[in-house]
Amino acid sequence: MLGQPIRRLEDDRLIFGRGRYLDDRNALGQYHLRLERSNVPNGRVVDIRVGEQAPLPRGALVVTGKDVDLAVHTIVDLPMAHEAPQPVLAGERVRFVGEPVVAVLHPDPYTVEDAAEAVTVDIEPHEPVTGILEALEPGSSRVHDDWPDNIHVRRIQRYGDLDAARAEANRSVRRVFRTNRQAGVPLENRGCLAVPEPDGRLTLWSSTQVPHLVRTYVAAELGMPEHSLRVVAPDVGGGFGVKGHVFGEEVLVAWLARELGAPVKWVEDRREHLLASIHGRDHLHAVEALVTDDGKVLGIRVQLLVDAGAYSVFPWSAGSDSGMAAKVLLGPYDIQHYEVEDIAVATNKCPLGTYRGVGRPSAVFTMERLMDEIGRELDLDPVEVRRRNVIRSFPYRTANGLPLDSGSYAESLDVIEREVDIPALRREQEGRSADSRAIGIGIALFNEQTAHGTPDFTPRRVPIESGYESVTVSMDAHGLVSVLTGLQSHGQSHETTFAQVAAHELRVPVESVRVQHGDTATSAYTVGTWGSRGAVLGGGATARAARRLRAKLFGIAAHELGVSTEDLELRDGGVGVRGKPDEVTMAQLGYWANRQVAKLPEGMEPGLHATVFLDGPERGTHSNSCHAAVVEVDRDTGKVRLLRYVVVEDCGVMINPMVVDGQVHGGVAQGIGSALLEESVYVEGGQPVSTTFMDYLLPSSQDVPHIEVHHLVTPSPLTEYGMKGMGEAGAIGPMAAVANAVADALGVFVQETPLRMHRVWELLEDHPPRWTFDRLVAVPTLAEFWKGDVDVRRT
Amino acid sequence: MEVTLLVNGIEHTIHVEPRRLLADVLRQDLGLFGTHLGCEHGVCGACTVLVDGEPTRSCLVFAVQMEGQEIETIEGIDPDDPVARAFKEAHGLQCGFCTPAFVLTVSHLLREDPDPDEETIREAISGNICRCTGYVNIVKAVRVAAASSAGE
Repeated sequence: MLGQPIRRLEDDRLIFGRGRYLDDRNALGQYHLRLERSNVPNGRVVDIRVGEQAPLPRGALVVTGKDVDLAVHTIVDLPMAHEAPQPVLAGERVRFVGEPVVAVLHPDPYTVEDAAEAVTVDIEPHEPVTGILEALEPGSSRVHDDWPDNIHVRRIQRYGDLDAARAEANRSVRRVFRTNRQAGVPLENRGCLAVPEPDGRLTLWSSTQVPHLVRTYVAAELGMPEHSLRVVAPDVGGGFGVKGHVFGEEVLVAWLARELGAPVKWVEDRREHLLASIHGRDHLHAVEALVTDDGKVLGIRVQLLVDAGAYSVFPWSAGSDSGMAAKVLLGPYDIQHYEVEDIAVATNKCPLGTYRGVGRPSAVFTMERLMDEIGRELDLDPVEVRRRNVIRSFPYRTANGLPLDSGSYAESLDVIEREVDIPALRREQEGRSADSRAIGIGIALFNEQTAHGTPDFTPRRVPIESGYESVTVSMDAHGLVSVLTGLQSHGQSHETTFAQVAAHELRVPVESVRVQHGDTATSAYTVGTWGSRGAVLGGGATARAARRLRAKLFGIAAHELGVSTEDLELRDGGVGVRGKPDEVTMAQLGYWANRQVAKLPEGMEPGLHATVFLDGPERGTHSNSCHAAVVEVDRDTGKVRLLRYVVVEDCGVMINPMVVDGQVHGGVAQGIGSALLEESVYVEGGQPVSTTFMDYLLPSSQDVPHIEVHHLVTPSPLTEYGMKGMGEAGAIGPMAAVANAVADALGVFVQETPLRMHRVWELLEDHPPRWTFDRLVAVPTLAEFWKGDVDVRRT
Repeated sequence: MEVTLLVNGIEHTIHVEPRRLLADVLRQDLGLFGTHLGCEHGVCGACTVLVDGEPTRSCLVFAVQMEGQEIETIEGIDPDDPVARAFKEAHGLQCGFCTPAFVLTVSHLLREDPDPDEETIREAISGNICRCTGYVNIVKAVRVAAASSAGE
């Protein structure tokens, strides 16, 4: 059962269109909500008029920031941090294009669009803050008037002895890397529906990954008792971290429903999603590696700048992407001297939030591009330069204190070298040197911290304070099993994998287990589905709860069969006495425990119900991957085509390898989008222009090649069954692997993603890199960190 | 306006505004929620239905244009349909939001070309965006469906 590619139990519902997503749900008497959003990046709301451009349809309601004083507050309790609460409807100030300003309501979804046409919002535009370096200029305008600068969060960490590393090193390799802004784009947009009850209770349906966090935040913001709010995530059409936030729209919709005493429904449209949900990435890194002539990296000094947009998101804060990158940048390499400053900059752009990988794709891009650059300088093959630096023995403690539990970093390089046949590709490459189509090979080696527990979250001093998941396993009077959890499955396949775990522990058919998820009314508190943790912690909690149930079943069976529990064993569909035919069925045990409780041993509590709260390992468990991309670059057009994509994945012991492969495929496809296509572009003046799928390009079946997946299995000593998380890993490697392949194909320095055709064209035309190390470190705000430099040959 | 729609073999005579999209009529008026809206500007393909057998973006046509044409939605697919079964067998879906439209698109493809090669498959599904699977197992599902149809 465990480890088998069981076909999914959720599929029949979803394939035949019987899934029920947020917009498939309506409540009698509901209002539809349409949000009028700011069309200027920075400005003052001067006037809101109704009925000037068109008459307001009868029955329409208009609500502005003057009517509602609610916000999304994200407290960041750090010395160099500012708070940036986002009002659910803007008051006097607007700070990004897409910020909600006016709420318009009407019972008819077409008429509410007409009603929105009747609203005029006058905004006096101010000079916007349009980019990271612009935000840091001394004379820059402010995103938040009461801040002394445009910095959300700033942290400096120093580990080891970088001066000693510098003294020992033969050279210093300095580069700047940039991973541009993009969107997360689950295919189902966000949305929510609030249904009030006459007794003060409220049900909030929301397309979310984190129903309990939504309940806690919305209840607190509305001043309502948390037990009176039920949050239900129905079928959710993808999340990828985007839906792992609590949004102002959820607060607003719940508030409107309470005020109106009627259901209120809001469904985001695609333009709103691309403008104003959350964006991801948008990193600018200045990095220095201190390297010996034989290619050993002794120390890393890096400054991580992230454009976090106008507001700080709940519960992660504006500092989560830069903080994550700072934590994991050293990756799978043995580098004991490390200094890092991470700065989350405020600009007049959509707030930055968590998108699959969270900081890691950008960190890996920098580290893996840097490895290739070091290899190029020293004339070392990309695999060889990594071999000289990779961590080989476990447990290992990184310079910044992360305990790496186990891994197969060097082995994964071996597998990639073998599977990709790099020597053969090198020969082909030479044969093509005069060809208009160059080929290149790029690899990305990385590890991923997954399923981290509470001790990883509390030092962040932001509102994500805990790292546990909970699961309840119960058995009914027919011997059928239910698994209830506040995790939410939006493609992760929990309905199958958690059933496999329960079926394995109780030795029952997987079809006799039903998993229900995403409803705060049926589950104990759970932090939600994010951070590559569902299988490790949700699956782990399922295993523990099922074992607790099994112990009780054994107690009942022992009483009935007149033996001790040590004499019992699980059999298909029941419990029997070792070496004897005597047995009782699960159906009998279920009936006795739930219905005929006189059959229970004296003093035993009726019922079959076990709830387990499982916190993650202190600093998580680390999975690892090696990705290889083989690309063809058209020198005439700049078009990059992927010829092969190979993944070696080690996520420890797998519940369902079919599901794992599917997660890898999807992550890689998203990563290919990040590498080649997807970009949320803001033009001069701070206007976003990637607001439709004609401008914001998603990878199609013709952009993504067949993806080959190979597994290594290195169990974690810290988790149930030795599992490690892997949901994000696929998306972490491709930017680095593809960019390395393009650099390899053209023999040029690649600084930025996505490698859209115009960027590759610039590389072909020998344009200098847009960002230089010297320019960056000369910015007064950034220079402080780089003080204390001593002379090592720079490159 | 009054319009008579033939959906999955059933006639529905309804009064709709001329501007009402076919997708909204199917979903909100007829309760056929298996047709999904992902972008409402004709790119993602999640709203694809078959109109007289041809894949059509139901977010780009008005219901009143559909008089006299035969519309097939995911709800009209047989429980034993080989394409639908192949998506399960090949793990060709994760969140499921794009899946009904893929099933209809692939059904159309296999009616036109019962044994497509990989290039043909990738071209035929290129108008449908999937954000979860990387298309690997969708391509596999098409192959499985083609093989099982050929075996029947």
